[in-house]
Amino acid sequence: MDVINGLAHGFGVALMPVNLMWCFVGCFLGTIVGILPGLGPAATIAMLMPLTYGMGPASGIIMLAGIYYGAKYGGSTTSILLNMPGESSSVVTCLDGYQMARRGRAGAALGIAAIASFIAGSFGIFALTLVAPPIAAFALSFSSPEYFALMFLGLALVVLLSGDSLIKGLIALLIGLWLTSIGTDLFTTQSRFTFGQSSLLGGVDFMIVAIGVFAIAEVLSSIKAGEETQVLPVPKGLRNLLPSMAELKACRFAFANGSITGFIIGVLPGAGSSIASFISYGIEKAVSKHPEKFGTGIPEGVAAPEGANNADTGGALVPLLTLGIPGGGTTAILLSALVLWGVKPGPLMMQDSPDVFWGLVASLYIGNVMLLVLNLPMVPLFAQILRIPVYILHPLIFGISIIGAYSVSSNLFDIGLLAGFGLLGYVMSVLKYPVSPLILGFVLGDAMERALRQSLMMSQGELSILVSRPISAAMLVIAVLILLSPLLPRFRKLRRDAIAEEG
Amino acid sequence: MLARKMAPAGLALALAVAGTPAAHAEFRPTKTLELVVHSGPGGGNDILGRALIAAIEDAKLSPVRIQINNKVGGGGASAAAYLAEKKGDPNVIGVFTSVWVTNPLAQAEANVGIRELTPISMLVLEPAVIVVRADSPYKTMKDLIEGAKANPGKLKQSGGSVLARDAVVRQVLMSSTGARWAFISFPSGGERISALLGGHVDMMVIEPAEAGELIRSGKLRALAQVTDERLEQFKEIPTLKEAGIDVPTVPQPRGILGPPGMPADAVAYYEELLAKAAKSPGWQKFVRDNLLQSVVLKSKETGAFLADYESQMRAILTQAGVKLVR
Repeated sequence: MDVINGLAHGFGVALMPVNLMWCFVGCFLGTIVGILPGLGPAATIAMLMPLTYGMGPASGIIMLAGIYYGAKYGGSTTSILLNMPGESSSVVTCLDGYQMARRGRAGAALGIAAIASFIAGSFGIFALTLVAPPIAAFALSFSSPEYFALMFLGLALVVLLSGDSLIKGLIALLIGLWLTSIGTDLFTTQSRFTFGQSSLLGGVDFMIVAIGVFAIAEVLSSIKAGEETQVLPVPKGLRNLLPSMAELKACRFAFANGSITGFIIGVLPGAGSSIASFISYGIEKAVSKHPEKFGTGIPEGVAAPEGANNADTGGALVPLLTLGIPGGGTTAILLSALVLWGVKPGPLMMQDSPDVFWGLVASLYIGNVMLLVLNLPMVPLFAQILRIPVYILHPLIFGISIIGAYSVSSNLFDIGLLAGFGLLGYVMSVLKYPVSPLILGFVLGDAMERALRQSLMMSQGELSILVSRPISAAMLVIAVLILLSPLLPRFRKLRRDAIAEEG
Repeated sequence: MLARKMAPAGLALALAVAGTPAAHAEFRPTKTLELVVHSGPGGGNDILGRALIAAIEDAKLSPVRIQINNKVGGGGASAAAYLAEKKGDPNVIGVFTSVWVTNPLAQAEANVGIRELTPISMLVLEPAVIVVRADSPYKTMKDLIEGAKANPGKLKQSGGSVLARDAVVRQVLMSSTGARWAFISFPSGGERISALLGGHVDMMVIEPAEAGELIRSGKLRALAQVTDERLEQFKEIPTLKEAGIDVPTVPQPRGILGPPGMPADAVAYYEELLAKAAKSPGWQKFVRDNLLQSVVLKSKETGAFLADYESQMRAILTQAGVKLVR
């Protein structure tokens, strides 16, 4: 078997002491980068790239990739503890992670995030090892009509199963769709809703919206509620700081869902890890026996998105390593690093540079174990952050949020936007509007509009292109079924029975 | 390469630089220099900027550190606006590309035109190749154009913004041959190539570095290169002219400029620094690895090139029906 030989060779490379060390350095740096909001893996890899010039390609890529997937482990930490997403892929983790922390289960939420990341991350790498070429071919069969159907499915999944008031959810969704349309239209280069501001030409960054409506709004709300004397509960004793068996058991389906959804969406060059995390959260909620509990702090709500954004790593490496196609900013910079070392990423990389290819793949397995070992013991320590009194914690959250927003593109205008989104989030929480449809509309809306317009350009204006292709048609049918499901209580009951039998 | 129509601004600047031959001895940087790029980490300009800094540091050409500053947004507009604010500052330079020229023409908010900034040095031209999928029925440029003529508007090209170079090349080809085909924008290179590899579109005008491995492994077929002479790495692929289409080869230029009113001695200092950097082994390796063409021009030639490029783009975009604001 080629794969077994290759992997054995790869472990030979990755287990060399020097490479083990670089793998650890990468994972460690990645975790820190993940924890710091605003500073992303792409910027860090770009900054550290010059240090790797002298390292040789295998060591270099092992370290830089460590930063990439390590950041996804770390991203959940501040989402859970402070309602402040560390990376865009961990935004959805705020929804249930922070609520768990508020109920005294911060340690459990952090533990579940680490375990889900490990399980799904390992699954993603395993799938990368075994099925990279065929799954890359599948990804290529996906084009604009399929992306449209996928985004539509994502919107259907969460919105219609969310919240008490459908109308309020839809209004929040529309705000999100509007916000994402700000900036330069790709197809005509006309600017939309920029109000003459050159700072808005590039659109609004997702991290600024997310930090504003989650972290800033949360601080504002708790100031109003007069929580100055009330510190979030942190239970004593190590056992209470780790997830319980019951919580882990509740996450069984979420681990599988996050693994598979994250990997498949990760393979698609047009959909990033934030979309993967949202869709797996939506699926989790759609099939749950108690969808109404989502958003109140349940472990599945943390496990599904955190799993998905780590399985996404293995997926995103498939087109990079088999075709030389980067799916996003971070994989693009990994690609340029490979080119710099003289490795040519593409269909021939596996033959031409087996050391680098298999060395990297093997190091991913090792890195995932390292990250779990690195992160789990940190859980009880991180949970102590919540013991900090609010008169210190709140200014700290404001400060980190502002630095985070500024570091996105070193533009003071973004800090004004951050304040605006903080107020928006606060007003929404006072008026009891759900925030998640807004975020969802923001994440999916842009890609959905683009895919629709690309599809119609491909078909010269024929809408039938959306339903005449099998993958797209199938996803649209599922989306319509989901949209109709609240109207069909009988179908809903049947579906729950079916799930109960499986589970 | 391009017809040299000397613009008045370029000429004035040329005289200013020519009048101070010994000026380079005057400016000597004493604090950290800033190199402004318009893309985020990992973007084309960011990678080029970092490679340039690494080459300069490697060859110990600068007495001070040079730091990259990512002014992302508006396809160059934020970076250009930032440079315009630094009027006269000798410690800030930026990396320009073709969007610095085309964006201000089409976008009211992008209000800093390329000719307001001080040209310092052209560094590279990025060539392009026209590719189809390996199983495409089109074996030559002629086949492709005939195919497009037989099915007007049916063939599709995936690319970036309508202001980007690939869209401009399409416009030039369509107006010279009379064929018509659709242009579908995708935000990232990965999505553009996937659309072609998956057979959802028919062709691309692509940078050689992006397509090289896919051509070598037989997944894509190159029909022509958008260059004046065959590139070293693509000896067997005809140029557009050799393929029977005699049109101006629109290059993607990348180089360095400064804020408006940069002192002449500072301009001369950077000209010399960049001329040395362009000869450094680190930079030459970068140029080779990324299949770029090293074309180093001094300030006045760079200014003339940009003025020329701007009027060329203005004509092509007007013809393409893009609404111009300046």
